Amino acid sequence: MIKLDNICVQFGGVKALDNINAEFSQPISGIIGPNGAGKTTTMNSVSGFLDYQGTISWNGEVIDGLNPFKRTRWGLRRSFQKEQIADDLTVIDNLKALIDNLGIKGSQRKQDLEWAIESMGISALAYREAATLNTYERRLTDLARCILGNPKIVMLDEPCGGLQQDETERLGDLILKIPQLTRANTLVIDHDVDLIARICAETLVLDFGKPIAFGKTREVLANPKVKAAYLGVEEVA
Amino acid sequence: MKMTVSARVGLILAALAFVFLPMVLGGQWIKILISTGCFIIAASGVAFMYSRLGMVSLGQVALMGVGGWVMLRMNHAFHLPFEVNLAVAGAVTLMFGWLLAMPALRMRGLYLALITLMAAGGLEVIFSTFRFPNGGEGFWGVMPSVAAPFQRPLLATEDSDYLRYIIFWIVAAFLIIEMHMRTAPGRAWAMIRRSEAAAYSSGVNVVYYKAWAFGLAGFLAGISGGLLAGGLGLLDPATFRASESIMLFALMVVGGSRGWLGVIIAGILYRVVPALFNDWTIDADLALVIFGAALLHAIITAPNGLSGQLLDLIAKLSKRT
Ligand SMILES: Nc1ncnc2c1ncn2[C@@H]1O[C@H](COP(=O)(O)OP(=O)(O)O)[C@@H](O)[C@H]1O
Ligand SMILES: [Mg+2]
Repeated sequence: MIKLDNICVQFGGVKALDNINAEFSQPISGIIGPNGAGKTTTMNSVSGFLDYQGTISWNGEVIDGLNPFKRTRWGLRRSFQKEQIADDLTVIDNLKALIDNLGIKGSQRKQDLEWAIESMGISALAYREAATLNTYERRLTDLARCILGNPKIVMLDEPCGGLQQDETERLGDLILKIPQLTRANTLVIDHDVDLIARICAETLVLDFGKPIAFGKTREVLANPKVKAAYLGVEEVA
Repeated sequence: MKMTVSARVGLILAALAFVFLPMVLGGQWIKILISTGCFIIAASGVAFMYSRLGMVSLGQVALMGVGGWVMLRMNHAFHLPFEVNLAVAGAVTLMFGWLLAMPALRMRGLYLALITLMAAGGLEVIFSTFRFPNGGEGFWGVMPSVAAPFQRPLLATEDSDYLRYIIFWIVAAFLIIEMHMRTAPGRAWAMIRRSEAAAYSSGVNVVYYKAWAFGLAGFLAGISGGLLAGGLGLLDPATFRASESIMLFALMVVGGSRGWLGVIIAGILYRVVPALFNDWTIDADLALVIFGAALLHAIITAPNGLSGQLLDLIAKLSKRT
């Protein structure tokens, strides 16, 4: 369970996050909201990339005291809105760059790498230079990194950005597999409400840095406040 | 570990150079190539910092001066083997690299470049004030006019053998960098270059690995400075002016920073071209004009430098046949 307790973030005079409280107890949960609502800022807080007030914990383990790279070593994984694969490394080296820092050695390391690559169906790409990958393949590499090393929290920031409809569906299936592959709680941000409705049991809706709804995805999406703040905008756009 | 085509070609060329260069060249050119080789080793340090981490270091030749100073100091103070002195020179300069890294770690791009340039300027002042040890008394060890003899490695007391010794070290330097690239530090550097967010989300300790890079570049500078001291027997402060550090960096960009060929080209442009101009009694300042034009050419049309263009050309030609 990922618990956000009174999270506040301030950029200069602007309150980017205003008292976010949420307990994501489902294997996969979502965060939705219009552009600039504070979704990425929420993930950046969990990553420790910025100063925030409040408490972030997973199954009672408070991670506020850990700096960003230690949070990764602790068991936090994430992908970014704009994926952050290193172009001059091969796919497997992009995974090694992570496992290098997790203290996993020897045969276990080899096994974990193979497992992550196979689980995402990218064995054929393992020795390809990342620069030659298309958007979907890069997203798969990202996902393989996210399940590597027995993670506790996985966060995916718009994992289906820039993907075709059928690719989004296949990636959705893979995200749905994360709870079977790992013990992690997964958080997903996406604009695609259909995707969120399909893969997230629970959803937090943000608007202007404030939580306007949180609960079962189906109920949240039916909430008139949510429809007004988000879905209305989205449907026009 | 797999060997790439480029690595194989490089090793073959190095072996050929090792055997034949000292045989076919005259005394003056052997001396020029010895110092060229030293600058190639130093350039390999800036090149990997630039190509793998995107860090601009404008203090490499000044750091060479540190290595050279330590080498001469050790040589004239004790009677230790050359290799021991060289190791000390490398280690001390590595620590200077760290010292340089401390203020620079939190900075990026232009600010980092400026910090390294300021350090180079500071070292320039120190070198020209205190000069290089030549066997004199005291800590600074400078005596007027004559210099005490310099103890070269036992295997390479002659210039021609010393050139071979340098070629060996060039290969060693490239292999040390290559070893890094293929292991955890190289991957961490690639992540840092991608973005700090990418590095953090890979669990990379950014400060640690940046400091490691500075240390490695410093070590290579120290070794090259120590080897240069061995090549010349004494060192002149003018060799290590801050402007020389800028020049070496610029020529590294011209040559191309991504592989051994670019670094070799940089070294040749830095040392051999001016010597050729000297031979042909052409004004040495003309070299600067040409370098400037080459730098513009590289920045505008050849992101991978002359070596990149050469390799592209070879690839094109081999496809045609
Ligand atoms: N580093 C930053 N400095 C200042 N303002 C920021 C920063 N990051 C995000 N913001 C602002 O905070 C708000 C929320 O942004 P973000 O979390 O990226 O939104 P989104 O929900 O689209 O992911 C936006 O108004 C954005 O401009
Ligand atoms: Mg966002």
